Amino acid sequence: MIDNFLAGTVALFGDPFSILIFVFGVIGGMLFGAIPGVSMLTLAAILLPFTANFDPAQGVMLFAVIYCTGTYGGAITAILFNIPGAPENAPTAFDGYPMTKNGQSGKAVGAAVLCSAIGGVTSAVIMMMATEPLANWAISNIGPPEIFALVFFGLAVASSVGGRTIWKGWISVLCGLMIATIGQDPVGGINRYNFGFADLAAGIAFVPAILGFFAVSEIFVQAEKKAIGKYVAPELSFDFPTIIELWINKIAVVRSIVVGFFCGILPGIGATLAAFMGYGEAVRWSKNKKEFGKGKLEGVISSETANNAATGAAMIPLLALGLPGGAMTALMVGVFQMHDLEPGPMVFYNSPELIWIVFSAMFYANLSILFIGLIETKTILYLLKIPFQFLAPMILLLSSIGSYIGRGLVLDVMIMFGAGIIGFLLRRSGYSIPGIVLGIILGKIGEQNFAQGMQMVHYDIFEYLSRPICLLLIVAGLLTLLAGVYRAVSFSMK
Amino acid sequence: MKINYLKKLIAFGFVGVLSFFLASSAGAFECKIKKSSMAKPSGYPSRALTMIVPYGPAGGSGQIAAAMAEAVTDLTGVSINRDHKPGGSGTVGMTAYMSAPSDGYTVLEHIDDASSAHALDSSRPNPAVDLIPLVISQVTFSQIYIRTNETRYNNWFTFVKWVKAQNGKSTIANVSKEGSMERVTMKFITEATGMKIQQISFDKGAPRYGALLGGQVDALFEQPGDVRKFLDSDKFKPILTVFNERPSVFADVPTHKEMGMNFEPLLRFRGFYVHANAPSDRVKWLQWAFQRAYCQDSYQKFNESKFMTVIDSYRDTQGARDLIKSSIIQYRNVYKDMGLNVK
Repeated sequence: MIDNFLAGTVALFGDPFSILIFVFGVIGGMLFGAIPGVSMLTLAAILLPFTANFDPAQGVMLFAVIYCTGTYGGAITAILFNIPGAPENAPTAFDGYPMTKNGQSGKAVGAAVLCSAIGGVTSAVIMMMATEPLANWAISNIGPPEIFALVFFGLAVASSVGGRTIWKGWISVLCGLMIATIGQDPVGGINRYNFGFADLAAGIAFVPAILGFFAVSEIFVQAEKKAIGKYVAPELSFDFPTIIELWINKIAVVRSIVVGFFCGILPGIGATLAAFMGYGEAVRWSKNKKEFGKGKLEGVISSETANNAATGAAMIPLLALGLPGGAMTALMVGVFQMHDLEPGPMVFYNSPELIWIVFSAMFYANLSILFIGLIETKTILYLLKIPFQFLAPMILLLSSIGSYIGRGLVLDVMIMFGAGIIGFLLRRSGYSIPGIVLGIILGKIGEQNFAQGMQMVHYDIFEYLSRPICLLLIVAGLLTLLAGVYRAVSFSMK
Repeated sequence: MKINYLKKLIAFGFVGVLSFFLASSAGAFECKIKKSSMAKPSGYPSRALTMIVPYGPAGGSGQIAAAMAEAVTDLTGVSINRDHKPGGSGTVGMTAYMSAPSDGYTVLEHIDDASSAHALDSSRPNPAVDLIPLVISQVTFSQIYIRTNETRYNNWFTFVKWVKAQNGKSTIANVSKEGSMERVTMKFITEATGMKIQQISFDKGAPRYGALLGGQVDALFEQPGDVRKFLDSDKFKPILTVFNERPSVFADVPTHKEMGMNFEPLLRFRGFYVHANAPSDRVKWLQWAFQRAYCQDSYQKFNESKFMTVIDSYRDTQGARDLIKSSIIQYRNVYKDMGLNVK
């Protein structure tokens, strides 16, 4: 492995054009990841035709590098302005933005940079060590029934994030699940709650909903404070997390690597579920659950470690089996095909040099997040100095563009503002915005896998529970729910 | 001496026949549009065209849209911006297209789902009437696949026998949304064979193929171009072709008719359209551009990589209308049989 890695490194950095592509991918991914709406996918789609003129290894490498740095890029705006650059950065905003409001923006951004790099590098190393056996294990043991159980397990903990009481947390999650059912059902294609509007048949898109619930509702909250004279600008802070703070959270990092890697390796799942599950697990194992959603460093660490840990893992089913794990890896298939190649087992035999250039590039791209991230952080934090009256319209403009650009539908901009207003009202009443967003995102994944899973076990609950992973996750999820009820009842009786 | 001469003659004859065969198969593709250029009507198009694609950039529609846009641009020098509007099984893209200006600057990519949607609900646009097909550039058939290393069955006969023995507990992965080509074809197959098999609907390719690779399902219903990499790497093998004759590349795979299933196969097709009320001179230019672009080397290479040259993938405007109309009639009849609410 070491020999192949070194050969890949020499091939990558021995050619000036490859270096240029690598640097472009690192910076482009970070930039496009950071701007809401125009995600790394936008950059990848723009670049796809140009890769026809590249060497195949250079083309695939460019996309892999964008994938790594783009996944990190969205964390910055999530932390500083409550605008997640992509759905996989949404859980980062849960605690990252409250940290900014508490004058700890430097700590949050520093932790995001460091943990994205740790998650990504570790994932890249595991990818290099065991791509083929891991891919085969994942597709043989994890099917729709297991993915649904995993989502149920993740949702069970969501109730304790951000709500004033556990009941309000659960209602928030249920609202999110309800919103997720708008549009065609994922299996039979039957329209639900679209009231005859064709555009609603596709359901509520993640990006406008996230921008509305997070960014727009926050603008309304701050505008209200400004109007009544209670607005306090977030304090600028350059304090990075200390070694001790990071060491305290070492378990959270390791746990998120495992969770993120596991989610990333499943075909069609990817970094979004990884980030939510990583965050959820941090809450589940914490002794101070109530601190989550209010600016806890562990929340940022868990989310950012997990989503970057999913990047290397998502390459495993793509390269070993030709199964893309998400939209970005699906676009990589296009790069392969432009060069008359097909990702899959034969690539390891026919083009081993390509594989090792890509592996090496992903390793170094994740390392470069650390160096470039730390350098840019010092500059980017000054954005917080912009007065609210200038910042708010800029955020609303960016969010509107970000909502519209995905599908080119005015409906998505309306949904964003609608979510912003609802979010504003719900926050005043103590409901959980993270809970709603979690419900929307996990609801879509969960419903599809529930329906498929039930068909696979012929609607027999005992057959479903005879699958060991399903049994384990469902029981763990139920225990989590019961523990939540017990805590809530005990608290209300005091 | 005479024998040697005879041998040479036979050898020469054999080489000659082989050369003729290879030459004829290499030259089997003949461009139906002879005009290699066409004057722009009154300067149209004077700016880039927009192509609405009702699916994401990475799927089959996204790929064909990219390949055709490149071919048209190479041929005419006119750029095409692709505008992906995924969702609702193509409904979002179709709705957006119908409300776009019908000035010939916006074209639509769509698949046979548009025809089956109209068959189920006649208020939805009819691609043969409300739109003008510029070209249908991919037509393909479906097959049923199993894993190559499968030990429980290895051909159609043993598969049917095994499925029947499972008494409804066996599974097949496909895209079985209500009224889809896959669900209708599976209805034909299960009725003809007496099999009871649970269809598991996966809307994305990767989890669908992963389900068969990992043994989560027992078989897969798919088109050959979409699983070519698994066929080339010997992971999947077809056991049934749903087409009236055996395509040469699948000469050892029986067709549904050979297996006693007497139904007309439904084909998967992808094509390009323009508004029915677009200016006629612009429509003519677009028809030429898209039909001629089909002949471009880059497009042919793309179609070949997707197994889309195995059967005739080309339909001009009239051919496309015929294909769409016959599909709509067939779907409508089946929907009525299935007891669906045909509007």
